[in-house]
Amino acid sequence: MSYGASLITHLWPLVLFLVLVIGLISLMLAGPYFLGSRRNARATGEPYECGIVPVGSAQYHVPIPFYLFAIFFVIFDLEAVFLFAWAVAVRETGWAGFIEALVFIVILLVALLYLWRLGALDWRTFRQKRDRASVLLR
Amino acid sequence: MQLVWIIVCLFAGGACAGIAGRISADASRWLSLATLVVAGLLGLSLLQPSLQDPSVLIAGSDAPQGQWLHLVQAIWIPHFGIQFLLAADGISVVLILLTLFLGFIALLSAWKEIQQRVGFFYFNLLWTLAGVVGIFAALDLFLFFVFWEVMLIPMFLIISIWGHEDRHYAAMKFFIYTQASSLLLLAAMLALVFIHWQQTDSLSFSWFDLLGLDLDPGLGMVLMLGFFIAFLVKLPGVPVHNWLPDAHTQAPTPGSVILAGILLKTGAYGLLRFIIPLFPDAAAQFTPVALTLGVISILYAAKLAFAQNDIKRLIAYTSISHMGFVLIGIFSWNAIALQGAIMQMVGHGLSSAGLFALAGALQHRLHTRALDAMGGLWSSLPRLAAVAMFFAIAALGLPGLGNFVGEFLVLLGTFQVHATTAVVSALAMVVAPIYALVLLQKGFFGPPSAALAGKVDTVADFGSRELLMMGAMMLGLVILGLFPRLVTVYLQPALAGLQQLGWGG
Amino acid sequence: MTMTELHALLPIIVIAGISVVLMVMTAFFRHQRLASLITYGGFIAAAVLVAGQTGSGPQQATPLLIMDEYSRFFSLVILVTSLAATMLAYDYLRRSDVFKEEYYILLSLAVLGAVVLVSSNHFAAFFIGIELMSVSLFAMVGYMVQGRTRRAVTLEASVKYMILSGVSSSFLLFGIALVYADFGVLSFSGLHSLLGLHSTSSYSQIGAAMIVVGLAFKLSWVPFHMWTPDVYEGAPVPVTAFLATVSKVSVFAIIVRFFIESGAFRLEALVQALVWIAVLSMLVGNGLALLQQNIKRLLAYSSIAHLGYLMVAFIAIAGSNLANTNLAVEATAFYLVAYIVMSLIAFGIITTLSSPERAEEAETLAHFRGLFWQKPGLATAMGLALLSLAGIPLTIGFVGKFYVFAAGVAGQLWLLVGVLIVGSALGLYYYLRLIMEMCKAPDTEPAISREETPLENRVVLSALGLVLLVIGIFPNGLITTVHAAVAVLR
Repeated sequence: MSYGASLITHLWPLVLFLVLVIGLISLMLAGPYFLGSRRNARATGEPYECGIVPVGSAQYHVPIPFYLFAIFFVIFDLEAVFLFAWAVAVRETGWAGFIEALVFIVILLVALLYLWRLGALDWRTFRQKRDRASVLLR
Repeated sequence: MQLVWIIVCLFAGGACAGIAGRISADASRWLSLATLVVAGLLGLSLLQPSLQDPSVLIAGSDAPQGQWLHLVQAIWIPHFGIQFLLAADGISVVLILLTLFLGFIALLSAWKEIQQRVGFFYFNLLWTLAGVVGIFAALDLFLFFVFWEVMLIPMFLIISIWGHEDRHYAAMKFFIYTQASSLLLLAAMLALVFIHWQQTDSLSFSWFDLLGLDLDPGLGMVLMLGFFIAFLVKLPGVPVHNWLPDAHTQAPTPGSVILAGILLKTGAYGLLRFIIPLFPDAAAQFTPVALTLGVISILYAAKLAFAQNDIKRLIAYTSISHMGFVLIGIFSWNAIALQGAIMQMVGHGLSSAGLFALAGALQHRLHTRALDAMGGLWSSLPRLAAVAMFFAIAALGLPGLGNFVGEFLVLLGTFQVHATTAVVSALAMVVAPIYALVLLQKGFFGPPSAALAGKVDTVADFGSRELLMMGAMMLGLVILGLFPRLVTVYLQPALAGLQQLGWGG
Repeated sequence: MTMTELHALLPIIVIAGISVVLMVMTAFFRHQRLASLITYGGFIAAAVLVAGQTGSGPQQATPLLIMDEYSRFFSLVILVTSLAATMLAYDYLRRSDVFKEEYYILLSLAVLGAVVLVSSNHFAAFFIGIELMSVSLFAMVGYMVQGRTRRAVTLEASVKYMILSGVSSSFLLFGIALVYADFGVLSFSGLHSLLGLHSTSSYSQIGAAMIVVGLAFKLSWVPFHMWTPDVYEGAPVPVTAFLATVSKVSVFAIIVRFFIESGAFRLEALVQALVWIAVLSMLVGNGLALLQQNIKRLLAYSSIAHLGYLMVAFIAIAGSNLANTNLAVEATAFYLVAYIVMSLIAFGIITTLSSPERAEEAETLAHFRGLFWQKPGLATAMGLALLSLAGIPLTIGFVGKFYVFAAGVAGQLWLLVGVLIVGSALGLYYYLRLIMEMCKAPDTEPAISREETPLENRVVLSALGLVLLVIGIFPNGLITTVHAAVAVLR
């Protein structure tokens, strides 16, 4: 059997799955269009049809700590990924590998130290910090 | 070695004059004068081998490159086979001496006129001269190109800083014309070098090595055109003459003197030294076109000159017309025409420099260049007017003066090979007097114009500095006209050598 | 890892070390002078180490990095350039009111990326290097936000650079993945026997094309150049100086190595596409530079054009003749050095004239009007840099352009040589316009009210000016060095 043919035997369930998924989603999206009744009341266009009426714009500034949170997660998650890779081969790499991993962790630690000193771990808003400062001053 | 010293002297003197200008303007002036005196003496010493042993001036039939009076050779960039190769034969020596002489004239005409940023001006002036001397002496193509460009920047600055009302436009036009065409020159030059490399497996930019290359006719024509366009722009010839009237008109007087007197000659020199020896076959094929361009330049520019009201513009167009003779002289390629072409270069160098110096003097006094606004100057400025008369009739080619010798020899030589060309060009002998006399009539005779009324008596006539400067040029033209042999004796052996490289050699 | 490998990697370790040291220092003790001295020291130490290894033959350090004459040459160039750029930035940073020490951290990280990049002969190191450099760079572009008017421009530049850099990296990565999918190798030399043969599948061809697209973004080849003027304008000048020199040069150096070692020049369609990219870069770069009133934007377009000139030599490498190939590679290396020298001077002078304390960059023509009569030293240096950019003899730029011309003519690339001529002629106009502006009579109220040029800037600028002239007149030394450096690429 040729390479291409074996590829097809291996792949056909995957292709079928993909087709099914797309079919199902289209069905779900298209179904309500045909099945649902259409009414054009005043509240139809609002986000919550039965609930509180939203106030103000939906586009507001997300506080910076939100991004910091994401970045911190990425950094430490990534570290874990690397360490997993090292853990698999810990015996083969020996002491040299250990030192390399250590250097890696130390650099990350330094970065954490830097971020801490910069105030990146202080997630209060500007106003909260100011109020706290004024409380302390008083 | 004198060649190197002249160039070094001009470069170093220019730098010193520039620095001295920050202390005092006069220091800079005297320093430039001293530099030019030293360079001039060195230039005269170039004649020395021929004075000691006149036999070097007899054409050596076995020396294909003509008689080299001086040769300096050193390795510069071995990776590309580039040498520091300076050589001078009779043609180079004559043109270098012309350059240094007109350098003096420019310096003297700048003495009073340039009052701002004096140091920097002399820096630019001397560097331009150094570049031009380098062009007349360089026989390594790369070195030639370097000098070709080195003279441009200072000239550009001279026009754009010290020029007249429209100087920025004129300077930019001048620079872009010449620089764009010189890039063509660079490309053609490199292609030539690489063909030589393919044929002989050695990289060399030396003129001697590149002679007699076996070129494919089509390719040879393309490369020849690359060189030709660059030189034609500088000459300038129709149809790429457009930069010249602007540049000449807007440049300050010393700038115009240098431009008309020397810079244009570098184009002619390039045609003579490079195009025909390097591409004899292509050039032979191209001759009809080149001659036609020459004739058109002569007549068309003369006609335009006649129509000008701006005195500097008028002189600028006469320059184009005169350089047309040089073009046909070179492409006629026989001994008489070539001698004529060089005599014309020297004669035109002196006469146009004189006319521009005059125009500058007039503008300095009257604050206008319009011929309409002049008139009747003969009575109020007798010395100036007499000098103007002299240069105007020199320009129209009166026998006994330098230009006549040049034009006559060119026409004589051309008649032997291309009679029609010579006959049509000879029409210039009719047109030239018209513009020359128009210049005199409008500017110096008749009643003073309304604009001039009341001002005439207050302006000063030529002083001793200006008389010295003009007198020197007039003397030069007379000597050239009466004893042309003083110059041609240097040209003959060199031209005989060159001629063997072209067709029919 | 053996000790010899470690020794070969020492310069990289030193640069990584200073960035860590700087980070610790900044955490506890902010001091700009000290941070700058540490950075200078680190760069000098790394440069000395690299120079010390020169001549010791190629050394493969781990499968990822190779230390040979080529990578050493460019590491040295990058380190010296970065040193000069940092020194030029000192006074600018001192006068601005942002976090200053971070500049040194980010800069040393970017330099680390650049050195890794030029030393890589494996896709992994290649990608790490390019990313390390780009990520540090977009932080550098954006973090010095100051002044109401400049803020929007700077942030726009940073975001634009980040997004386009990310897009280009993903192109690069996808291209690498496709090539890997086809051949299963990631080292350049491993590709050599595979890429460009008749049996090459469309996978690897598309892959190679995508790698080129990814790199074209970083090199701002037309039509991937849109970000360049905005980023050059928005970034603070010292960062622009670094961006214009180190990032361009390192990416170009590695693309040359990649193409030669992987045999990608055998992909004829790709080379054909490169020819058109080169033509467009030269024409669009020069053409749009004509219209600019802002000097930083003007230099941005001019750098696009210069990268186009470089491509002429780059494409000439594809020519078959062995001797020609060497000439062409030399031409790229020489031109890169020339480009660095002249760009550094130009941006260095804008840095010197800018007043960050007023959030004002010296980027309009008015800042340069009459400069020649007010600050002759600076104006002379700027004039030299502009003449060199325009390719006027006796400057390094002329020899570089001559080299490129020679490579193009030797490779018989007449179209490219023709466009090079047209482009250079267009270029003259805008460089000369600036020179003319400097020579005009000064305004009564000078736009620049600075009294003294700081010593550091004066030293660096005069040194660069001297290099520009000396190599312009006696190019032999650099030619020999470059010749030796590129001889290893085969």
